Amino acid sequence: MSLEQLNANKFEEIIYDNLEACLVIFSRKACHVCKDVVPVLEELQPQYRDRFGFYYVDVEEDKNLFQRFSLKGVPQILFFKEGEYQAKLAGAVDEDQVIDKIEEVLES
Amino acid sequence: MKREALTQRLMVLGVDGMDPKITRKFLAEGIMPNLQKFIERGSAREDLSHLGALPTITPACWTTLATGAYPGTHGITCFWRQSPKSLDAVVYNMDSRNCEAEQLWNVTTEAGLKTLVWHWPGSAWPPTSDNPNLHVVDGTQPGSVNMGVAQLDWEKIIAANGEITELIYAPKLERPAGTGCMISDLSAITEEDEEPATDMMELWYGEAAMTGSEIREYIMGPENMEMVIESIPHYDVVNSPLKAAEGWAAAPADAKEFTILTSDGIVRRPTLILKNADGIYDRIAIYKNKKAEKPIVVLELGKMVSGIVDDINKEGVLKPACRSMKLLELSPDGTSVKLWISNALDIAQDKLWHPKELLKDVVENVGPVQPVSLVGGEDAYLVEKVYEPAWDSYSQWQAKALNHLIKTRDYQVVFTHLHNVDCAGHMFWHLAKNLERWSYTDPKVNQDFIRKFYIQTDKYLGEFLHLLDEGWTIMILADHGLLVGEEFPPQIGEYGGMNVQVMEELGYTVMKKGENGKTLKEVDWEKTTAVQTRSNYIYINLKGRDAHGIVDQADKYALERKIMSDLYSYRYKGQRVIGLAMRNKDAVVLGTNGPQCGDIFFTVDEGFSRLHGDGLSTVEGAFDSSVAPIFLAAGQGIKENFKTVRTIRQVDIAPTIATLVGVRMPAQCEGAPIYQILSEEF
Repeated sequence: MSLEQLNANKFEEIIYDNLEACLVIFSRKACHVCKDVVPVLEELQPQYRDRFGFYYVDVEEDKNLFQRFSLKGVPQILFFKEGEYQAKLAGAVDEDQVIDKIEEVLES
Repeated sequence: MKREALTQRLMVLGVDGMDPKITRKFLAEGIMPNLQKFIERGSAREDLSHLGALPTITPACWTTLATGAYPGTHGITCFWRQSPKSLDAVVYNMDSRNCEAEQLWNVTTEAGLKTLVWHWPGSAWPPTSDNPNLHVVDGTQPGSVNMGVAQLDWEKIIAANGEITELIYAPKLERPAGTGCMISDLSAITEEDEEPATDMMELWYGEAAMTGSEIREYIMGPENMEMVIESIPHYDVVNSPLKAAEGWAAAPADAKEFTILTSDGIVRRPTLILKNADGIYDRIAIYKNKKAEKPIVVLELGKMVSGIVDDINKEGVLKPACRSMKLLELSPDGTSVKLWISNALDIAQDKLWHPKELLKDVVENVGPVQPVSLVGGEDAYLVEKVYEPAWDSYSQWQAKALNHLIKTRDYQVVFTHLHNVDCAGHMFWHLAKNLERWSYTDPKVNQDFIRKFYIQTDKYLGEFLHLLDEGWTIMILADHGLLVGEEFPPQIGEYGGMNVQVMEELGYTVMKKGENGKTLKEVDWEKTTAVQTRSNYIYINLKGRDAHGIVDQADKYALERKIMSDLYSYRYKGQRVIGLAMRNKDAVVLGTNGPQCGDIFFTVDEGFSRLHGDGLSTVEGAFDSSVAPIFLAAGQGIKENFKTVRTIRQVDIAPTIATLVGVRMPAQCEGAPIYQILSEEF
């Protein structure tokens, strides 16, 4: 299942108004590494239904968000919980790394 | 040896940059009533001055005040020392281990006197003795307590209105006067390829500097001069949409909402705009999130609120930090809002507190260490609404903290330092005269800001008046004064690095050129015979001593003569710029000899000084300002309502304190007690 895309306003609503525990991958259409990482997340998503949200931001469409988080390059996966930024993973990451980080965030 | 003490309690109230000449102007205006009381109850020269040490640079002079030794003797001759590896670089120097003279507090603690050294920016940190009588708080930078180590987030201006459609965060923008807070084109101001803005505090006093990294700053032109850099404020800007409140657990009807971003943009604080009983929107309430029942703080229009503690998110780790905030503007209909939030200081950062439990004591009984503001400069709106009130709030916090510690801890000797006047001086004193470069600023407005900082200082000093009735001796003094510059000066004598312009014009410093003939930021060591670094020093590029030396030892003397001759002949707008120039061995007459004072010591002449740190201690400027430091003493052991004609040298103050509290002289002391003001004959 593909990830739900967030624009700046939707991002505010999900992360901060709804205080959802979730991850957001910042990616770019032409980025090869992103093309490898996004399917990993899509595959994981159903396992965490109702427990942990999976979203993506296209940095070309929402440059403002990319700059706000002082990100250098894509892909970057940012983790949030209760309206607070928790951690990030950068570059080519595998399934285990993502699972570990999600568990860490959920348990914190 | 044992000496009979003239007092059992002595406190030094150090005010960095406090100038006796301008102080007398404000005393005559009647706006410094507390200082007037100290003067009437104590002793001073008629002109309230003392003769500051050279260079007129903060750590050098505070170290002289602490040791009674000249900078040439104690070895702290600028904010930085010369890098041992390269002539064009400097290294961190706010480190007591570099001081080669004994500090008076080591003598008092050894004599059994409980001593507190509070934020003394001259050879105080790390603590210079393991004697349990010695307590020390910070001293690693001249700003404010904990400024160098506890900062977690930067100052921000947040603007919100209905026209903004999405939340925008722009970090560390340079905002010259007159620039609004609305971001119309984010990409134009945050180009990815651009060199990141230099944070001078980080560069000069940050972790890397403290561990010995070289700092290599070239003053190539006016744009690299501190007075130009510091007069342009920079801060984070947040633009937020503003709309009717929605989805809140505790929002009253008609409330509106906008968003504040903190923690370098990654933390969001939803904020309600609220109206009063008359239906006028007059305050805002900042919440952790929309589900929270209670706000973190409520801000009323125009009122500075300090001591606000909120979490800062650093890489996913939450740290409670202290902020000040002020609601600057709010339209009565609640459709437009602007507020300032200060930098955020980690409330638990006790790295520079010795013993560490002092921090907990102060936080619990007085409140967390308050941040100051570093935005203002040429922006009169920010100086008036933010910068001055933030320093006032900090000064009052410091007075409360010191009074609490004095009351509860039985200190007998207390050394303190406040940086309000000097910090303001570096930002806008030069705007108090109408110099062409800043023709768009109003000198009268800036003169009034100087006035406000002296009123603020008087209020601070007034918090300690009660100690005179409790048997204390109080000294009010400064390291140097601050003058209002008469002229935009040429680039020589600027303490922040290697000064290129004049030395390049005279042919001693040669910079490499690019293909297009453009000057590069790289010294051509094969052609450079001398460089001017830090405040007042010229080093010959000597063979056998310097990494790229080209001048033979045998030619050094003649070259020094030629450089001094050329410096005296140098003209700027038809005028001589250099006051004195002398060889290192001769500079002993000024106390500026020895290995940290260059091969030639020189001063910038009156009329071309910037603020302080480049000329003699006797130099005067516009608006009745001067570089002389203030001195007066009052209380136990000091003559009342007394004036002396004695020339009081900066080296005389430590031995005067030693005499008053009945301890021996610090080992390298070169001054003599100010006998004339003491109540006992010596």
